[in-house]
Amino acid sequence: MPAIRNQVRELRAARNMTQQELADQVGVTRQTVIAIEQDKYSPSLETAFKVALALGVSLDKCFQYDPRGKR
Amino acid sequence: MSSLSYREKFLYASLAIELAVYLPYFFLHGHNSVSKVAGMIAGIILLQIIAQGTIAALTRNRITDERDRLIELHGYRIGYFTFASLMAFGLAMLWFHAEAGHLNMQNHTMGLHFLNVFFGMLVIADITRTVAQLIAYRRAL
Repeated sequence: MPAIRNQVRELRAARNMTQQELADQVGVTRQTVIAIEQDKYSPSLETAFKVALALGVSLDKCFQYDPRGKR
Repeated sequence: MSSLSYREKFLYASLAIELAVYLPYFFLHGHNSVSKVAGMIAGIILLQIIAQGTIAALTRNRITDERDRLIELHGYRIGYFTFASLMAFGLAMLWFHAEAGHLNMQNHTMGLHFLNVFFGMLVIADITRTVAQLIAYRRAL
């Protein structure tokens, strides 16, 4: 399990938002949103805040840290 | 191609151009000259400009983000390591052959030979950098 997990896919789907729409709001590429959703990329703190803001939730609802997970 | 970002498309195009230009050069090593090296560098620059212009014209979303920059740095780190390793190996081989008396510095083709070896190291490092970046786009970073 990765050290930083997220609920971006579930939160985005609940808001009927496409990956491209989220990417445009956050200011990243759609490929980066895909990588975040697949836990292949841990975004910077600034981007994580932007994602949470775009999804209308707090940061800890969107991203969780597991100290036992692998980096 | 729609699932690829602007940077990825450009990297695939760069790799194709590098292989198309460099491979014939190094496989036709016997016919090389300084003017051919200069022509090849000019050709690479021209093809890269054409490829970048074409991809930019065909891609609506041309933004690059923090992940692109991170992958770029990752590629440069691997490329630099490859180049430094090849340089160390090349210098060791040069020392070995000089000690064994295999090198004839009076030979007029020796300069071109050194140019080719040095240029080959740069090419291998550059291709390694591009491939490392393409792999990083597909794997977790």
